[in-house]
Amino acid sequence: MVLNDVKYLKYKTYLQTYCPYCKVSFNVEKNDLKQLKLNAIYKNQELQLTLSPYLDVFDVESSIPLEKDSILDDLICPHCGKSLISKQISCGECNSHVGEVIISAASKLIPFYICLKHGCEWHGLSKSDERKIKLKIPRQTMPEQDQTLRVHNYEEVPYGYTTELAMLEAGRCLQCKNPKCVAGCPVNIDIPSFIELITHETLNEAAKKIKERNVLPSICGRVCPQENQCEEVCILGIKDKPVAIGRLERFVADYERKMELVEVPVISETIPQKIAIIGSGPSGLTVAADMRKHGYSVTIYEALHETGGVLTYGIPEFRLPKSIVQFEINYLKEMGVRFELNHVIGPLITIDELLDNYDAVFIGVGAGLPRFMNIEGESLGNIFSSNEYLTRMNLMKAYKFPEYDTPKPRGNKIAVIGGGNVAMDCARTAIRNGAEEVTIVYRRSRHELPARQEEVHHAEQEGIKFKLLTSPIKYIGTDSYAVKGMECIQMKLGEPDDSGRRRPVPIENSNFIIECDMAIVAIGTGPNPIIFNSSPKLKRNKWGYINVNPETNETSMEFVYAGGDIVTGSATVIEAMGAGRIAANAMHEKLQKKLNHAKKQKGKKKQIAK
Amino acid sequence: MKEFTSADDILDFAIDAEQQAVNFYTRLAKNAKTEDMREVFQQFAKEEIRHKTRLTSIKETRLFTLSKEKVADLKIGDYLVTVQVTDDMSYQDALIVAMKREKAAYKLYNNLAAKSPTDDLRKVFLSLAQEEAKHKLRFEVEYDEHILSEN
Ligand SMILES: Cc1cc2nc3c(=O)[nH]c(=O)nc-3n(C[C@H](O)[C@H](O)[C@H](O)COP(=O)(O)OP(=O)(O)OC[C@H]3O[C@@H](n4cnc5c(N)ncnc54)[C@H](O)[C@@H]3O)c2cc1C
Ligand code: SF4
Repeated sequence: MVLNDVKYLKYKTYLQTYCPYCKVSFNVEKNDLKQLKLNAIYKNQELQLTLSPYLDVFDVESSIPLEKDSILDDLICPHCGKSLISKQISCGECNSHVGEVIISAASKLIPFYICLKHGCEWHGLSKSDERKIKLKIPRQTMPEQDQTLRVHNYEEVPYGYTTELAMLEAGRCLQCKNPKCVAGCPVNIDIPSFIELITHETLNEAAKKIKERNVLPSICGRVCPQENQCEEVCILGIKDKPVAIGRLERFVADYERKMELVEVPVISETIPQKIAIIGSGPSGLTVAADMRKHGYSVTIYEALHETGGVLTYGIPEFRLPKSIVQFEINYLKEMGVRFELNHVIGPLITIDELLDNYDAVFIGVGAGLPRFMNIEGESLGNIFSSNEYLTRMNLMKAYKFPEYDTPKPRGNKIAVIGGGNVAMDCARTAIRNGAEEVTIVYRRSRHELPARQEEVHHAEQEGIKFKLLTSPIKYIGTDSYAVKGMECIQMKLGEPDDSGRRRPVPIENSNFIIECDMAIVAIGTGPNPIIFNSSPKLKRNKWGYINVNPETNETSMEFVYAGGDIVTGSATVIEAMGAGRIAANAMHEKLQKKLNHAKKQKGKKKQIAK
Repeated sequence: MKEFTSADDILDFAIDAEQQAVNFYTRLAKNAKTEDMREVFQQFAKEEIRHKTRLTSIKETRLFTLSKEKVADLKIGDYLVTVQVTDDMSYQDALIVAMKREKAAYKLYNNLAAKSPTDDLRKVFLSLAQEEAKHKLRFEVEYDEHILSEN
């Protein structure tokens, strides 16, 4: 079988087609509408065929309706009347006859085939060659705010795809028969389907497809570490860069929001049982949405005066605009989820008390207790935990001082200790806050930085310095007990240990000073014990995180479930959501059983009474 | 400081030190305010019992090894400030206490090795120091992995 020379072709290329005999073009252009017109014989009738002249899905229109899978008897040049049926080539997919036309590509004329079976899209390319074509569309970059300008504002850095860019990127997806991306997504979004809907420009449908599995798509599209999840296993990624699944998710969710296409499902409270959720972070919000959809009455108790958990108080505006978080939360409010703000569960109401009033409880309180290094001088002035720094800046809106009356933590030379997303967020917030110099101090090498590559890249663009393989061992203070520097020690990576990890080891006598008038400690967080003091029955592990049955996320207390960072330790938004989903499914199942059991008992009693 | 004249002396001393560690962690376990921290200290005590058993068997069999293997020293504990031993200490604090205790024992045996009158005794001390370095490393790795998570 001779195949087209795909070297010259790109997916969605506009094809100039000619008759191989009279060499007259088949293409017709009318009012910007480009078409490819041919004649054909079908069931002894002559008809006109109009085809899409772009190398993509083969759109065919016929002057006589064609039955699916029917085969044309002939394909004819409308100019010279010759049959175009090829004598040598048959369809590579269904083995039917094919029509041969000539196309011009890169100043060459090459044969191009059209299968005569209606519905078969073969055009002379094997599936593997088609892949090669798709590989040629480069991964589309997202337009973003100029790096010199953005350090002076808190506006979002990437602007997101335009429809054209999104469609081009979506066109890269191979629509794999056994896609790996779906299993790579912690909530199993049907990725190929939503991407295909983008290629057809049915964006609202694409948004609905995502929402089937993910209630917070515009958030996940922005902050999920796709490079370690769906995109890491994307099959296109074997030979080329993977499909930008996260950017497409973000595009679709933004489109739906901006176009005001979001439809809130109308739910009446059909189930008499009530659910209490502690914490309004992503895990709690997911449980709320899922349980509300089933028809339960759902109330979220939140300790802070704002909803969203880390999405609101931690991740900065320039990475995740708060208006978007609030939009997604409003969706839940409109679904009928109730929010009780300023309610610290534990001291104010205990879990047992909640169980008196609710049928099930979900604990999604996150891991918000700051952790310090415990080195000398850590209690000096102007040393902040990342939590305090980001809470002041984001939640308390210090960056809008004096419009909001939270003073900005001040510093000109700022050291941020840690290498994760939290450290990057602190550093990038600090530079926007007017610091002259911001340095990330991290114990391991660049390769081990746990932050998302995109964040590291953005931080570097914004002028953040990186002092790698460096660990602070002591803070130095001024006479008035404010920090003025850090004594650090140079590290090297040791030999891999049994677990295969290379651990940082200090190099003797390599001590040096980093000057700073402010330090932000971003080395991790732990669980806040406040909720547990009144709930000794709740079993926890040695880290202080809640022990759950991993299949149901039920805790040692019956009808009390938990998920998110309070179970796993600091993780990701989507993992917290995945945990919420497991809990919601199990909770629903157990509550249904309980309800059915109660109904049966009632039925029995009635019968006995009769 | 106690004078050591034989390997038996040294081993008796070391066995006693391990027993004190067992007692220390058992006491912390008894007083722990939460179930999870009780389990942590019970685990630490169990590990010390294992160390003691090892030393007892060395004493009985006279078989000890001074391997050439160099035990990594992450020095995490070295720069941390001492924490108060309390009934409601966190796991982070418990690890700091453990790291610091193992480091102190390591230093002690190293010093004793340096002062040993005979080569044989020196080897016994060095082998014990190596043991302690391994114990310390185990706590350091735990600290490195879970406390300095840097996410
Ligand atoms: C600065 C920062 C940046 C991050 N960046 C990313 C990122 O880019 N991508 C990513 O995937 N993940 C990121 N993460 C991690 C991610 O945000 C968390 O894993 C996720 O938010 C955990 O969700 P959660 O539902 O468990 O809890 P949280 O989001 O922590 O929410 C818990 C909520 O419970 C409330 N609460 C706590 N105690 C009580 C109580 N006793 N009573 C009532 N309410 C209570 C809290 O106020 C809070 O609102 C980041 C985290 C931080 C801190
Ligand atoms: S694995 Fe990649 S190429 Fe295949 S369907 Fe998923 S996104 Fe598309």
